[in-house]
Amino acid sequence: MARARSLSLAAAAACAASLSAGAAQANPPDTYGFGSRETAMGGAASATTRGFAATYYNPAALARSRGLELSIGYFRADHHMQINGADTGVDPVKGLNGGLVVPGTLFGMPFAFGIALHLPDDRISRVRALRQEQPRWEMYDNRNQRLFLAACLAIEPVPWLQIGGGLSFMSSTRGRLDITGRANVFRADDSELRHEVDADLTAIRYPHAGVRVALSDSAALAAVYRGEFQLGLDLSARLAGSISDLTTALFVLETSSVNNFLPQQIVLGGEWKPHRDVTTTFDATWIQWSAYVPPVARLDVALDIPPPDGGWPPTVTPPEVPAPTRVEPLRMRDRLVPRFGVEWRAVHARTADVFARGGYEIFVSPIEAQSGLTNYIDRSRHTVSLGAGVALRDLARELPGTVTLDAHGQLGQLVTSTTRKTSAADLVGDYTAGGRFIAFGLQLGVVFDPPGRAK
Amino acid sequence: MTRRALAQALLGASACICIYACATTGAEGEGDRDLPSSGVGPFRKLAGDEVPGVAPFVLDDERAEYREPSAISIRVAGEAEPSVVLYAVARDAAGADGIVRSRALDGRAFFGATGHTGRSPARVLSADLPWEGGALSGPAALAVGGEIWLYYAAAGGIGLARSVDGVTFSKLPAPVLAAVAPSGAETTAPRAPSVYRLPDGRFRMLYAAGTSIFEAESADGLAFRRLDPDPSTPEIEPVLAPSRPALPSELLPNEKGPFDTGRVSDPEVSVRTTPAGRLHIRVLYTGESLAGATVIGFAGRYGESGPLERQQLPVFAVGKKERAPTMVPVGAGIMLYVQQDHPAGLGGGEGYFALSAAYAPGTETLARPLDYPASP
Repeated sequence: MARARSLSLAAAAACAASLSAGAAQANPPDTYGFGSRETAMGGAASATTRGFAATYYNPAALARSRGLELSIGYFRADHHMQINGADTGVDPVKGLNGGLVVPGTLFGMPFAFGIALHLPDDRISRVRALRQEQPRWEMYDNRNQRLFLAACLAIEPVPWLQIGGGLSFMSSTRGRLDITGRANVFRADDSELRHEVDADLTAIRYPHAGVRVALSDSAALAAVYRGEFQLGLDLSARLAGSISDLTTALFVLETSSVNNFLPQQIVLGGEWKPHRDVTTTFDATWIQWSAYVPPVARLDVALDIPPPDGGWPPTVTPPEVPAPTRVEPLRMRDRLVPRFGVEWRAVHARTADVFARGGYEIFVSPIEAQSGLTNYIDRSRHTVSLGAGVALRDLARELPGTVTLDAHGQLGQLVTSTTRKTSAADLVGDYTAGGRFIAFGLQLGVVFDPPGRAK
Repeated sequence: MTRRALAQALLGASACICIYACATTGAEGEGDRDLPSSGVGPFRKLAGDEVPGVAPFVLDDERAEYREPSAISIRVAGEAEPSVVLYAVARDAAGADGIVRSRALDGRAFFGATGHTGRSPARVLSADLPWEGGALSGPAALAVGGEIWLYYAAAGGIGLARSVDGVTFSKLPAPVLAAVAPSGAETTAPRAPSVYRLPDGRFRMLYAAGTSIFEAESADGLAFRRLDPDPSTPEIEPVLAPSRPALPSELLPNEKGPFDTGRVSDPEVSVRTTPAGRLHIRVLYTGESLAGATVIGFAGRYGESGPLERQQLPVFAVGKKERAPTMVPVGAGIMLYVQQDHPAGLGGGEGYFALSAAYAPGTETLARPLDYPASP
């Protein structure tokens, strides 16, 4: 039995690793966690997660649910990122977290469907294509400003095994601006210009899958794969027409960039209960940062303005075609991120349980020293989290099940260090950078299931 | 509290969460506040609302043709805030070039500018020594102790005048760096000096000669000796020479090659210690192409000796024959002053040189200018 479980786990991990479709530490959940219980446990949750949060941590764990589960909560992370002692004003990440799990049976086999959502309340998604020289907190400035939406299925073919998978959704942006007509540079009001705008938000999906093996009542292992995705931004503009009947102008601009890239991840984790009221967890997440595509726009410009009859007046300097950008590669290294968590059931009564939780994560920055032209600033980070939860059973006749209320607080402390530039003619120069983020969240859930039936 | 009331409270709390989240509206993103910078641009020219006259000019006069500015921040007696003082070359009524002084409380409304009717900058130096050859150029002001030391160029080399109040100067009788017979790359008399001090108090001077920029050193600022950044060669090498023109195969489509293939000159040097604790010598200069087009470039080095490394892109370029940069901190940013072409007036003509201003960081907009000061 133990050998069969080990083989199943290895096979599932191999299958997960071989999936080629493909992104990571820039979902907001990657950085700040998802769901108060799991976040409070340091994100070390692949083997211990359940409910709506399983759609992110391990879709297989959805099959642990036996009753309809609804959850909603709020989350906020405030950044205090400093460069040379000055706060650079990195925007907070905040919004609703929630989801539902609908369990059932399929051919006599436990089955569950889950959907989860992180809905930012500032912006659904943000597009930024900065100059590659401009300093920015690459891991915190823009990448986490986006929606997270995932839908998953899971089955439990045998009581000790859960398998699950699903898709996450995002959209790329394609846009076109077309202006034609006649421009009067002497009387702008007499210009006759027609413009057309054509923009598409095209859906992209990336997979994630997982497996959970219960080795015993007190131990479980898990493996999770999260795919890679690239959030593209393609814009084009075309301007054509005559300028005061003196000459004609044709300007064509095409720009293409990857606004958000999430590398693929593989998570191996475990859960062990040394005592019936204590759960300890561990996750190791491998992230393929070496495949990262920097968010720099590639610009292609064509400009054709023939000189008017008699040539250009001496006071007029005709515009020149801008030079293309020489994109400097961003070198990143694959990383293994360890996470640890613990949960203590401090109170266990007939109608209520009370939990205390803690967790720790160390994230070694994958970005190599920015000693050259580019300034993708990042620092290694220690994240400590604490939380508490209460599960209330049979609270009211209208709520026939368990009501859970979980809260967490999180401190991500970035190590302060100094970047030294190789070139003394660098316009940014040396800088010292460091900082922290502070996050908190609250999650309310209802499990429409008599206590004791959920696994 | 009854269990039913607790359930209602929890449901109410979740409703509040939803209402709070839904009532929040998106704000414009930040993340680019107080970004690090070497403090040398890129600069943008001043806009119409940022100067009292015709932007971007801050000091212009068709007859005086102000050129080669040198800016310094000085606290004038009786005033709470420091002023920006500009020393610049100007032509007098007899057609001789001397050095004048003007001042602005905000770095933009200069005494004697076009809009300051009936006033004109004060003439502080004229060519009256035999070695000066009848004309002065390239002023470079430096605060030393309680005095203003004004280095300048003339036919026989680099001279020095000292002043307590920055208005009345006393010249040294002989140049502090004399012209020598053409040797190596130093094919002309030194011109366009810029003087700075090392942390131990020694004086360093960058100056232009021929098509390059050279360096000299002095213990007291009164007598300089030439420095060789490469002692392994017999001749004194420049610290910055013109760039090698790029081969067509080295360029991307529409990409331009180096902007300073013809000549580098007019150094403006400033010193800082970087957050990493390194001595950073920063030099703005005029970069001139083989075709004669000029822009403002930036070169630098870490440490007190050695050649300068250049930035590939200009820090200020407007296509108006801009040259002779000088900069000074103003508010939270840096103000750059250059000499550039001023279009001809209503009476026609060919245009003339005047002093214009630019500012960094380029994303920041300046408040309306203050009044003109009461004195130059």
